[in-house]
Amino acid sequence: MRFQILLTLRSLAANKLRFLLTTFSVVLGVSFVVSSFVLTDGLLKTFDNIVEDANAEVDAEVRASSEFAEVEFTYRPFDESLFETVAAVDGVDEAVPGLTSAKIVPVKGDGDPVQTTGAPILSFNWTSGSLSALTLVEGEAPDGPGEFAIDETTADRDNFVVGQTYDIIAAGGREAFTLVGITRFGEENALAGAVLSSFTLEELQRLDDSEGLLSFIDVSAAPDVDPTVLLDRLTAAIPSDLEAISGDELVEEAQDDFGEIIGIFGNILLAFAIVAVFVSTFIISNTFNILLGQRVRQLALLRALGASSRQIRFNTLLESLIVGLVASIVGLGGGVLLAYGLRALMDSVGFSLPSIELIIAPRTIIAALVVGVGVTMLASLSPAKRAATVPPVAAMRGGFRFGSGEGTRRTIIAIILSVLGVVSMGYGLFGGADNTALLMATLGLGAVLVFVAVSMFSPLFSTPSAKFLGAPLEYLPGGASITGHMARSNAARNNKRTASTAAGLMIGLSLIAMATVVATSLKDSFRAELGSTLAGDYLISEETGPGFSNQLAARVDALPEFETVSAVRYGTIRVDGDEKGVAATDVTVLTELLEVGVLAGDPVASAGTDYVLLTQDAADDHGVVVGDELEVEFAATGKQVLTVGAVYENEFLIGHYIIDLSGWDANFAAGNDNVISAKTAPGVDAAAAEAALAPLEETFPQLVFETRAEFSERVEGQLDSLLVVINVFLGLAIIISLLGIANTMALSVLERTQEIGLMRAIGMTRRQTRSMIRLEAGVVSLFGALLGVLVGLVFGWVAVIAIPESIIDRLSIPAGTLAVYVVIATIAGLLAASMPARRASKLNILEAIAQL
Amino acid sequence: MNKPSMRKVGMVTTETSEPSALATAAPDIQIMAATAVGLRKIYGEGETEVRALDGVDVGFEAGKLTAIMGPSGSGKSTLLHCMAGLDDITDGSVRAGDTLISDMSDQDLTLLRRETMGFIFQAFNLVPTLTAEENILLPLLLGGNRPDEEWENTVVQSLGLGERLHHRPDELSGGQQQRVAVARALVTQPNVIFADEPTGNLDSKSGNEVLGFLRRAVDDWQQTVVMVTHDPLAASYADLVIFLRDGQVVGELRDPTADQVHDRIRALEA
Ligand SMILES: Nc1ncnc2c1ncn2[C@@H]1O[C@H](COP(=O)(O)OP(=O)(O)O)[C@@H](O)[C@H]1O
Ligand SMILES: [Mg+2]
Repeated sequence: MRFQILLTLRSLAANKLRFLLTTFSVVLGVSFVVSSFVLTDGLLKTFDNIVEDANAEVDAEVRASSEFAEVEFTYRPFDESLFETVAAVDGVDEAVPGLTSAKIVPVKGDGDPVQTTGAPILSFNWTSGSLSALTLVEGEAPDGPGEFAIDETTADRDNFVVGQTYDIIAAGGREAFTLVGITRFGEENALAGAVLSSFTLEELQRLDDSEGLLSFIDVSAAPDVDPTVLLDRLTAAIPSDLEAISGDELVEEAQDDFGEIIGIFGNILLAFAIVAVFVSTFIISNTFNILLGQRVRQLALLRALGASSRQIRFNTLLESLIVGLVASIVGLGGGVLLAYGLRALMDSVGFSLPSIELIIAPRTIIAALVVGVGVTMLASLSPAKRAATVPPVAAMRGGFRFGSGEGTRRTIIAIILSVLGVVSMGYGLFGGADNTALLMATLGLGAVLVFVAVSMFSPLFSTPSAKFLGAPLEYLPGGASITGHMARSNAARNNKRTASTAAGLMIGLSLIAMATVVATSLKDSFRAELGSTLAGDYLISEETGPGFSNQLAARVDALPEFETVSAVRYGTIRVDGDEKGVAATDVTVLTELLEVGVLAGDPVASAGTDYVLLTQDAADDHGVVVGDELEVEFAATGKQVLTVGAVYENEFLIGHYIIDLSGWDANFAAGNDNVISAKTAPGVDAAAAEAALAPLEETFPQLVFETRAEFSERVEGQLDSLLVVINVFLGLAIIISLLGIANTMALSVLERTQEIGLMRAIGMTRRQTRSMIRLEAGVVSLFGALLGVLVGLVFGWVAVIAIPESIIDRLSIPAGTLAVYVVIATIAGLLAASMPARRASKLNILEAIAQL
Repeated sequence: MNKPSMRKVGMVTTETSEPSALATAAPDIQIMAATAVGLRKIYGEGETEVRALDGVDVGFEAGKLTAIMGPSGSGKSTLLHCMAGLDDITDGSVRAGDTLISDMSDQDLTLLRRETMGFIFQAFNLVPTLTAEENILLPLLLGGNRPDEEWENTVVQSLGLGERLHHRPDELSGGQQQRVAVARALVTQPNVIFADEPTGNLDSKSGNEVLGFLRRAVDDWQQTVVMVTHDPLAASYADLVIFLRDGQVVGELRDPTADQVHDRIRALEA
């Protein structure tokens, strides 16, 4: 036993390069996993601290009670008269009124509104005292009309100078304000990219269109009063549609909210990490197999000297255990670095995160070990088994080759795996998976099984494929045709090696191809749907944010250039206990602006506060038809009985539930518009319409005024950006697979040292040697890339079928883009082989020939 | 790259006059396919220093079969490698024909080997993924040149390889493999063919066949062959045997018989 360990260590030490190459892909996989944990744990801790910090002195908060938010991510406002009541409650030490607005945008000195990369632009009312999360770092607090303060990060970045005048865009338009102070949120002003301006409460209410309204009241208890007692007193003092919660609860709630978002972010990172790990499993398994082939003599010698085949298997597994352990430890360190790298990356794209605390949870270490050791051991199981089959006589008699595999058994296993994979995916997509976790699990498992099955099948056709794909190389000009020929036959030389080297690229590219197919189908479906559904010519909306002034729609309507105008608001209601999205619009013009396809009833007759319009799907869900009553629960007004005024077909852009604007006003506390849809009057051309809108555009620079085509383009652009982000992360898998290609080629060069030396001796130039190796890698990569695109097309097709018709109604295959991916992957594979190619070309000819 | 000037440098088709002095002593009298002057090759440094070649002046006559003999470790292979531009030298100069090769770049050396030299090694002569024919044509193909079909046929037929052209090396016997290597060395009609113990791994029948072909290449096609061997019988096929010991030329024998060679070797090893 001790001897065996010694032997294993010796063997690893003797082959440092091979050891490094083997370990590297595992290290990368482990690093990605570790970094996703380290980053999320660190962020979570930091955000927890920020939230605790900001609410440290708050003992209780009073706010509108509701089990759900009527508009996502906002508190329902309530009347400010309540402040007096709360402040007067016995035991209240300090009470401050709070209002949060997301409708106000400061304009920089250069005339452009401040911008973020997705983070909100928020405004608070300034409050001094211990309850405030804001502290003043420069200047004065806003203390009257026309004064505001801004957070220090934004001030630094956008050059806001105390004492200067800046425009503020608000619900009612643009106004000039004086910057009187610079604030800091918590200790670090770590706002994750958000912009924070502050005003006096009165100014904020005016700017936000919320005269007389508050979002919350924060309270601290007098020193001699128990906070729980105070909470009871508060609850007793306020109306039933408000609630008082403790400071601890408040902190917990906020932490949970952040935790959820960070958790999603972490899970996405983790998903990509798992893809990377999966790819590296293939690579390391391939590496072990190649190394094994090269060590036949050594193994046979051990056998001849009396080692049992069990001992050989043990040795091989022990070696991979050590590789796995080392990879885990290195990967742990690498993951920490990567986490900080990711943070810096996000910082550089404007999403400034607080400095994260370094937390290496036991869970992280366990994950690193499980992934590192698990992956290596798993990958070495079959090579270890095969190693044990080397007969002792192979030590003397060269030329022992491992059987090319249990052909039929392999095929049967592959078939079983692919069937299981398809069943798993099918179950997730079309059947049982009723929650996201299960859906993801079944899809992931299915995809893994399919990938394994494909990689098991592919040796069956990798040799003919490589020959076929490499055929053009035969026609390269001059002396390149023989190097092309060599590259082609080398690529076709070992079917298993070619197949498993290509597998990594296959996996990465299939995921990219799938994402691209789905995104393209989505875009095409969207464009087509938009063309056939949206009848309005102009849309006014905001890129992010909870809505804008409801005055704007009237101002557009007043323009003679526009015939039909309606605002749309999006909120949340509850029907049969489930939260549902609801849209409010002027139902009398609904069909003029949006062809929802009325199936029954009459939207025009459904104006007023008593009606709701449903899609056929929703009507079926609730078992109602036109004229029936439906109980709908609003956050502000509770349960109301509405009449089904119409049933329509198409939920595109509008959703399954529509109420009239008057119904919104009656049942919602908030009153912001989210979209304005407008149709030009007959005879008004685009130029005239745009000219008419221009002054409004000037007043509301935070809003997007766009034609139907521009809107379509913007949405498609957003989808494209999302696709780019996804593909960049999937690119990690591609990078690992490229490492795998470099790895295989390096080992192949090692294996073919003699013949390379021979060819160099009889006149192969260094350049020819390099291109021979690179072209071989190119052929293997092309094979992997094509296979990947093929699998990706199938995945994409299945996904398109599984996604509801209303979102994707067609399969679009972006042939050109996919072809570009294949070309890029092939060239990348070609370049990945540069290092081994250079090694091959620099071989000392005589030493190479003399090898063995 | 001025290829034509490299090709056929020092190629001789006429008779050379009867040598009157040692070829090694008068390299500039004969027309030489390859020459070395003051050639020194030292491996390692200090304690571990090995003088594989220690001041060798030698010339290989064009149109002749020269054998290099000597005890094991005497520097035979090293000499061959240095003359072929496969190894760099420590001191002295090496010429292929008139071309000084001892300070050529790797690229130029490679092209020179491809176009003006042929190689036959003791073992592992063929690229396993290529057919016999592709192996034979490899130097031409690497240069992007079309084979001279008539010449190729002549070589292939006379080596008896016609049936085997589409076989891969692992389907050929050792003797056949070695004949393919000979064909490859001949196919470019090089200025000189270097063979390092070409029969070392063969049974005597195959070995004699190969030696016969090398002899014929010189007699019928005016090729130049330089062959390292330690088999006196093999050396007897040569026009001239050069003896090495401890990295130095210690003698030569013209038109040798096996017995003469045998005796000289005995004397050297004593
Ligand atoms: N690459 C090398 N490194 C160190 N010493 C070498 C090397 N190649 C050859 N030698 C030494 O040079 C001497 C001559 O070797 P070699 O030319 O192969 O002899 P021969 O072919 O006559 O048997 C020997 O002592 C050998 O050990
Ligand atoms: Mg030798």
